[in-house]
Amino acid sequence: MSDAELTTPFRQRAGSAMKDEFLQEALTIATTKFIGLRREAFAGFPEGEALRDRARAIKEATLQHLDRHLETLIANVERLGGHVHFATTPAEARSIVVDIARRTGARMAVKAKSMATEEIHLNEALEAAGVTPVETDLGEYIIQLAHERPSHIIAPAIHKTKGQVAELFTRELKRPAEPDPEALTRIARAELREKFLQADLGITGANFAVADTGTVVLVTNEGNGRMVTSLPRVHVAVMGVEKVVPSFTDLMVFLAILAKSATGQKLSVYTSLVQGPRRAGELEGPEEFHLVLLDGGRIAQIGGPLREALSCLRCGACLNVCPVYRQIGGHAYGYTYPGPIGILLTAMLEGAPAVRDLAHASSLCGACVDACPVRIDIPRMLIELRREVDDEKLAPWTERVAFALLTKLLQNPRLYRFAAKAGRVLQRPFARDGRISRLPLPFGEWTRTRDLPPVASRTFQERWASDKDLRA
Amino acid sequence: MTTRAEFLERIREQVRMSPGRSPASSARRPQHPAAEAETIRRELVERWPETLEAFRREFEGVAGVFHRTASIDVVPAIVARIAHDRQAREVVTWHSAALGADLAPALGACGLDVHPMPAAEPSGGAERERLRTLAARADLGLTGVDLAIAETGTLVLVSGAGRPRSTSLLPPCHIAVFDRTALVESLRQAGVFLEAWHRDGRPPAGGSAINFITGPSRTADIELTLTRGVHGPKEVHAIFVEQPIRG
Amino acid sequence: MTARRASLMVTCLGDLFFPEVGVSIVRLLRKLGVAVDVPADQTCCGLPLFNSGYRGDAAAVARRTVALFKESEYVVVPSGSCAWMVKHEYPGLMADTAVGPEARELAARTHELSQFLVRVLGATEFTAAVPGRVTYHDSCHLLRGLHESESPRMLLGKLRGAELVPLPGADECCGFGGSFAVRLPEVSSQILAKKLANVESTGAGCLVACDAGCLMQMNGGLKRAKSRVRALHLAELLDGGR
Repeated sequence: MSDAELTTPFRQRAGSAMKDEFLQEALTIATTKFIGLRREAFAGFPEGEALRDRARAIKEATLQHLDRHLETLIANVERLGGHVHFATTPAEARSIVVDIARRTGARMAVKAKSMATEEIHLNEALEAAGVTPVETDLGEYIIQLAHERPSHIIAPAIHKTKGQVAELFTRELKRPAEPDPEALTRIARAELREKFLQADLGITGANFAVADTGTVVLVTNEGNGRMVTSLPRVHVAVMGVEKVVPSFTDLMVFLAILAKSATGQKLSVYTSLVQGPRRAGELEGPEEFHLVLLDGGRIAQIGGPLREALSCLRCGACLNVCPVYRQIGGHAYGYTYPGPIGILLTAMLEGAPAVRDLAHASSLCGACVDACPVRIDIPRMLIELRREVDDEKLAPWTERVAFALLTKLLQNPRLYRFAAKAGRVLQRPFARDGRISRLPLPFGEWTRTRDLPPVASRTFQERWASDKDLRA
Repeated sequence: MTTRAEFLERIREQVRMSPGRSPASSARRPQHPAAEAETIRRELVERWPETLEAFRREFEGVAGVFHRTASIDVVPAIVARIAHDRQAREVVTWHSAALGADLAPALGACGLDVHPMPAAEPSGGAERERLRTLAARADLGLTGVDLAIAETGTLVLVSGAGRPRSTSLLPPCHIAVFDRTALVESLRQAGVFLEAWHRDGRPPAGGSAINFITGPSRTADIELTLTRGVHGPKEVHAIFVEQPIRG
Repeated sequence: MTARRASLMVTCLGDLFFPEVGVSIVRLLRKLGVAVDVPADQTCCGLPLFNSGYRGDAAAVARRTVALFKESEYVVVPSGSCAWMVKHEYPGLMADTAVGPEARELAARTHELSQFLVRVLGATEFTAAVPGRVTYHDSCHLLRGLHESESPRMLLGKLRGAELVPLPGADECCGFGGSFAVRLPEVSSQILAKKLANVESTGAGCLVACDAGCLMQMNGGLKRAKSRVRALHLAELLDGGR
C-alpha cells in the first residue's frame, strides 16, 4: 500500500472496498469456503481441542524462556555451519539480506512466501541493490506482477478473479493466458521453473525453528519452499524471534493443528525441515545458510500488553471468520497484516498511533478467538489498544468529551434521569410512529441506514417507581 | 548494527520483567527416544496391516496413487508401467544403497533410461550441474521412504548422500517405495523418530533436509480452485512392498 | 421449585428503550414464584466505557453497580453483554480494590435471563406471546463470553404456540458492537444486511435475541426495510398465556 493510500481515512478505505463488487464476491466465496474447511477438519479431529490447549501452553512456556531457547537455536544453527544475524529494525533486516546478496554476487533471488519479508519491505530494498526478487508462491507471484500487496495472510491473491489473473499474465508475461486456473498454474510453473534453476539466492521466512536441533521449518503446498531452499547457492531465512519452539516433540503439536486451521488440510503438502547448508555428498542444498532473527517490535511485547499476539501461527483463521474482514478484505486495513491479528501486529510493529482507527475496526464479537488454533484473546487486546489510544489522546476531542459526559451521567442517577427526560423532549421532532428515522450527527451515523427506537415515554425504573401493580 | 549480545540482552530483560501466564509447559519429550522408537516399531509389527490400510486411505485422500506388491523384484515392472502410461522414459533414482536394492538393471531392461544418483560428492560444479539437469529433465523420480505416517498419508524422506532432494521434487512424477518398517501411525510417533534420529544433535543420514510429503504439489490461490503440480510433482505414487526390502 | 428472590439489573438500554422487556421479566418470574426487586438508581454496567478503552471510568461505574446489588441473592440480567461484563470483567476491574471480593461475589450471583430460567430455576415451559415461526440469533457475548447457546433454544423449542426454525449464520455477529455501530456505520450496516437476509430466508415472523444491543441493531434494520419480521427479546416472547 502506498503512502498516498494510507492518508485516506480507514473508514473511507473500508467504504471503497465494500463498493467493489468483484472483491465482495471473492471475499464471500473464499471466507465461506475456508470456514467450512476448517470446521470439517476439526469436526473429524476430537483430539483437536486438547492439542490447541497444549499448543497455547507451549507458546507461553517458550516465551517465558525465550532468551534461552534462542541461544540454543543459535548454537545449533552455527554448529550445522549456518550463520545467524540479529535485526532490531526492518531497516537492519533489509541491510543484512542485501549485504549477503551483494557479498555472494547474487543477481536474482527466488522467494518463498514470507509475511516477515513483506513486513520489512524487503523486495524494494533488493531491487534498489540490483537484485531481482522473484516471488514463487503462486498467489505472491500474481500480486508481484500486479504491483500489489497481499490481501490475506495465506491466500495473498484471494481478491483477484481468474479473469483478472489471465489479463495480468497476458500483459506482464507477454503470452496469451486463458482464464482457467489449470492453464494459469501451468504457465506459472513453466516461468518459475527457470527462475528456480537459475537463481543465486533463495529467501524464505520460517514457520517454526526447532531450537534443539537448529532446524528451520517451512510449511508450503506448492513445492516452492523446497525449490528455494535446495537449488540456489545461498539460502536466507528471515524469522520473527517468537517462532522458535524447543523440540521436535513440540513441533508435532503445532503441525497437527496448523494446516487444519488454515485450509482444513490434515497437513500441508510439504513440511520441510531445513538443517543448515548442504553436507558432503549432497547434490542439493545451499553452500551458505543464513538465519536472520527479526525483532521489529516483537521483543518489547514479551513484557507488554500484546504478548499473547506473539503466539500467532499466521494461519489466517481469524481473518476468515471476522465480520469486518469479510466485508472489507485485506487491503483496506492498510498495513502488511490484515484482519483481527493484523490490527495487533500493526500496533506491535508500528505503534499505537497506527491503529488509532483500526483498533475500532471490530465489533468485539470474539469469532476470532474461537477460530484461533492457540486461542489468542484478540478482543481483550483490542480493548487494551483502545485504552492506549485514549491515554495518548489520539482520539478526536469530541469523542473524549462525549465519553467524559457519559461517565458523569452513569455515575449520577439524577443526571441519568434528567438525560432520559431531556432525550424525550429532544427526540420529539424526530419520532414518528414509534420510531426515529433521522437524526442529526453524530446519531445520524445510525439513522442513515437503521431506525432507532425512541426513548420510552416512561423508563422501566420510572414505571417501577410509580406503578403499584408492577411492584406487587 | 545490533550485536548478538545486545539483542539477547533485550530479550532477557523483557523475559525477566514479565510475569508470564499459565498454563505454560513445553511438550513432554521422550526420555529415551531411541528406546521408545524401538518400542513403537515392535508394537507396529503386530498391527502393520491396519496401519497400512489407514495409510492407504489417507494417502489416496490426498490424491496419492497407492500400489502394493509382494517383493521388491516386481517394483521395476510397476515403475515401467507408470512410465509407459505417461509415455515417459527418463527416470532418476536414489542410489541403490539408499533404496535398499539395485533396481537400475531391471528398470533398464524394461526400456527406461535410468540415472541412479551417486553416493559420492560430485567432482565439481559441472558434475553437479549435469546431475541437476538430469533430475530436471526426468519424467519420473524413484525414491525410498524413511517414514510413512498413516494419520496423514505422509511420506517422510531424509536427504543425504545418494538420496538427493531433487529426485522427489523436480520430476513431475514421484514414485516412493517402502515396506512395513517405514510405517508409523501418527505425527506424534513420527516426532519420536525425529527425536531419536537427532539424539546426538546431528541430523540423520548426514543430510541437511528432511521432507514431509503429503500428496502431490497443489495450490488454490486462484479463486480457491484446486490445481495440482504447481512447482513440485503433479503425481505421487507409493509402492508398498510386502516382503521387507532389506531382508 | 423453592421460592426465591431475584433482583433485576434492568440495563441502560433496557431501561431507556425497552421497558416492556423488564415488565415481562417481572411477570415471568412472579409466575414462577420468584419475588422480584429492582434496586433503585440503576444506570449502567459500564460496558460501553470498557469497550472503548476507558477502563478507569468503567471501573468507577462498575463499583457503583456492585454496591447497588450487594444485598441481592440472585441478579437477573436481560442482556448477555451486561451479564458478561459483570461475570467476566468486574472481578478483574476491581481486583486490587477494597470491593474486589464483593465484585467476585456479585459475578457468581449474576445470571443472564435464559440461563437463570433454565439452569437455576429449571423452568422451561412457557407459552408464546406471539404464535408462529420464530428464529433465534446468538448474541456474541452470550454465545462466546458466557458459552450459552442451549438455554434460549430449549426455551424456544418448548414454547407452546411457537415453531423454532434454525437461523443460518445464527452465530454470526449482527454488527452492533456498541460504538462500532456509529464509528463504522457502513461496515456495521453491511454486516446487518447479511444477518437480515438470513433472517428473511427462514420465513419466521419473529426474530428472538437475548441482548438489547442486538435487538436495537436488528430491529433498526427490519423497520427501515419495512419487514414483516419483528425482533423481540426472549422475555417478551415467553410472556404469553396470561
